[in-house]
Amino acid sequence: MEHTFNRQTGVSHTPKRRLAALGRYLRLFFVFAKFSLMSQLEYRVNFAAGVLVETGWMLIKLLYVAVVYRAGINIGVLTPDHITLFIGTYVLMTGFYMLYYNNFTSISSLVQEGQLDMYLVKPVSSQFLVTLRRLDFSLLLPDFVAGIVMIAYGWRRAQLPSDWRSVTGFVILLLLSNLLTYSLFLLPNLLCFWFISTRGIADFTAALWDFNNMPQMIYGKWMQRIGTFILPVFVITNFPGLFLMGQLSGGLFVWSVAAPFLFFFLARLLWTRALKSYASASS
Amino acid sequence: MIKVEHLSKQFAYYKKGIGLQGSLHNLFRRETLTKDAVSDVSFSVEKGEIVGLLGPNGAGKTTTLKMLSGILYPTSGSATVDGFVPWERKNEFKRRFSIVMGQKNQLWWDLPASDSFYLNKCIFGVEDAAYRRTVEELSELLEVRELMHVQVRRLSLGERMKMEILAALIHRPDILFLDEPTIGLDILSQQKIRDFLHYYNEKEKTTVILTSHYMRDIEALCKRAVIISSGQLVYDGELAAINHLMGDKKLLTLKAAQPIAADRLVTFGKIREQNGTETVLEVPKESLKQTASAILASLPVEDFTVTEVPLEESIAHIFKKEVAGL
Amino acid sequence: MNPYRCVFRMGIEKSLEYRVNFLLTLLSAVFPIVIQTFLWNYLYGNADAAALFGYSHDQILVYTLLATLVSQLVHTGFEYQVNEDIKNGGLNKYLVRPVTYRYYQLCSFFGEKMPQLFLLLIVATGLVGFSVLVLGLGLTPLRILAFVGSLLLALLLNFFLFYCVALLSFWLTDVNLLFGTVSVVLVVVSGGVFPMDIFGEKIALLFRILPFGYTTQFCVNIINGKLDWGQVGTGFCCQLFWIAAFALLTFWMWRRGLKRYVAVGG
Repeated sequence: MEHTFNRQTGVSHTPKRRLAALGRYLRLFFVFAKFSLMSQLEYRVNFAAGVLVETGWMLIKLLYVAVVYRAGINIGVLTPDHITLFIGTYVLMTGFYMLYYNNFTSISSLVQEGQLDMYLVKPVSSQFLVTLRRLDFSLLLPDFVAGIVMIAYGWRRAQLPSDWRSVTGFVILLLLSNLLTYSLFLLPNLLCFWFISTRGIADFTAALWDFNNMPQMIYGKWMQRIGTFILPVFVITNFPGLFLMGQLSGGLFVWSVAAPFLFFFLARLLWTRALKSYASASS
Repeated sequence: MIKVEHLSKQFAYYKKGIGLQGSLHNLFRRETLTKDAVSDVSFSVEKGEIVGLLGPNGAGKTTTLKMLSGILYPTSGSATVDGFVPWERKNEFKRRFSIVMGQKNQLWWDLPASDSFYLNKCIFGVEDAAYRRTVEELSELLEVRELMHVQVRRLSLGERMKMEILAALIHRPDILFLDEPTIGLDILSQQKIRDFLHYYNEKEKTTVILTSHYMRDIEALCKRAVIISSGQLVYDGELAAINHLMGDKKLLTLKAAQPIAADRLVTFGKIREQNGTETVLEVPKESLKQTASAILASLPVEDFTVTEVPLEESIAHIFKKEVAGL
Repeated sequence: MNPYRCVFRMGIEKSLEYRVNFLLTLLSAVFPIVIQTFLWNYLYGNADAAALFGYSHDQILVYTLLATLVSQLVHTGFEYQVNEDIKNGGLNKYLVRPVTYRYYQLCSFFGEKMPQLFLLLIVATGLVGFSVLVLGLGLTPLRILAFVGSLLLALLLNFFLFYCVALLSFWLTDVNLLFGTVSVVLVVVSGGVFPMDIFGEKIALLFRILPFGYTTQFCVNIINGKLDWGQVGTGFCCQLFWIAAFALLTFWMWRRGLKRYVAVGG
């Protein structure tokens, strides 16, 4: 979030100050996490229901693994064990995405009911406040557990390297994937500043996300290119696994690092535009 | 402290006919209208002053406050608040002021208010010691000490509003914008909040702009009023001088032994109300003495009192004059 | 901003709003089908999947397309209303009137579903026409008739199934929160995502016995020619059996529940 900091404070960009701001945002994030969890635990039945529903959705995702296992064939270079790792990555990333997903869908009501006003007068990035203030741990929980188990299982079975460099690289790529998910899926949601109804946006992003339910290799060449470079959804769940397998070429590796920052920058840009339009048109 | 010059804000909107036919018509030809929410408003506020921003619904009070807090961009004109242009939204600026809107809340519903205060402490980067002192002091003043650890959803509307105000003051702002802070509250809660604001302003010399529907809030807190109607500034001056503007009238309430015929009363002044033996007369201030003695001399009056014209009435009169003048 | 520019932009935005929304919804309906089509193409292109899954390539593609639509068709929503009525005493107004609550909900459900059924049939006709002409799928009018019949029965079955779930509200207060999960899981086990009989003979047998497949999978397999007439006949018998079973269950649950409801005082 260092970029956020620069825009907001307008102070000199010395690395030390950047780090301090990053620390402040991280601290705020933890306060949000704590408060969200406390709020959620006020309603234990709702929490349980969240876990159950998300588990239900996960069941559908796991059904795809079952089909591939049943066919017992490789998809491109991927053995069924690799595929488990890939779908595990997808399930884990879904959990992280769901953690803040509800903030995205509620942007439109914030705009319509004018509650956004209260976030604009705070000396912290309004984007940060609006998109990360409510975190839903009931949705994260089942995906997190299942995702980790599947990744570990696939990793071992496929006998992928587990030295510290591979593990660190994999974790870093997962972190970058989170940044990319956040940025890429925030973009369509910002359209609600101009178009009032957002039902279509929610459906669309959900369907787009599900493309990762299968490793990218099952899609045609052109779709893979579009999904890697134009709407880089495939980067999110395929690249960490490809990296482990040593299948990530130099160029793609650079892209896996560059794309998250590029799209984060785009999301920042659109957010600023959206706020401008809000400030000039709303009543 | 606050300087507003020729501030204007226009909104564009569509006119839509009624029902399906209107919708269909809308599909082909749309009439776009622009509304002047605020037009050419200028005023300034000194440090430590409490100014009441008055006007009927839709007059542009909230829009003005939103522009002063940087939430909205103006269409034209300029404003500075504490040396900052609000809509540049500098963080430095945001640390200097606070806005409380009666219909918008910033507290976390399912958590005690103290947690929301802590969040604001983190957001505004308030030091631990200063934070503790502020919460201690203000919760004492607002009499919400025992409620600090109760979930906000369990609080009454009045208690919640007190908490909202407290939350807005965690960073000790120099400037405070209050948009209908007492809306929907019972008389007692209104009184409490009023007293608090009065005390706080005296002590901290915080500059305050306040809008309210309740004239009592304004009368109790503000020496000065800025009145806008249909987006335009129609009055800026001492609250007490508004009656003067109205032509300095006083009200005479008479109580007679038996009903008095209206035509006998008319000679002394305008009859505002007549109810059996009781009559309210409107009399120019300068001739009050002569009129009073003349009435006592010629009519069977048992009792009479002199009062000011209620402020609401004067202000409503200003609004009306403005609308008629358009 | 220049007011004319502002107005111009707002005009564009307004006219785009509806269309963009429509386009996005359409795309999101197509995406899952695209994903599955790629999956099946890959599997069938690289393995002897037909022998493995028991579906020919064409059959599985038609299945993918139609299963989504059929599970949309049989999808219910009245359970929330029933729960609300039981919890907040809204049931009283039905109890004092000469209507039977069950049939009231049933009629309302079917009424709501008829336009959807009609739309589904149009899509299915186009799809089936395509299958017959291009893929060479054998199709007789009788099969289409059987398909429509199975759909109506599937609606009835799903109604009673969810009505049972809804009636749990008599005993559990927060059953409302379970509905989401139940509905997702039921889509899976009724074959709304994949046909359940591709997971091996044992599972296939299990799902032939269980009621869930008769709300989606059975109907689709009639039209894509997976089932021979003998299987269709048995299927109809099972479907009718389960409808009867769940209908009886709702009678029983209703009577027990109502006793409790009246005792508690509504």
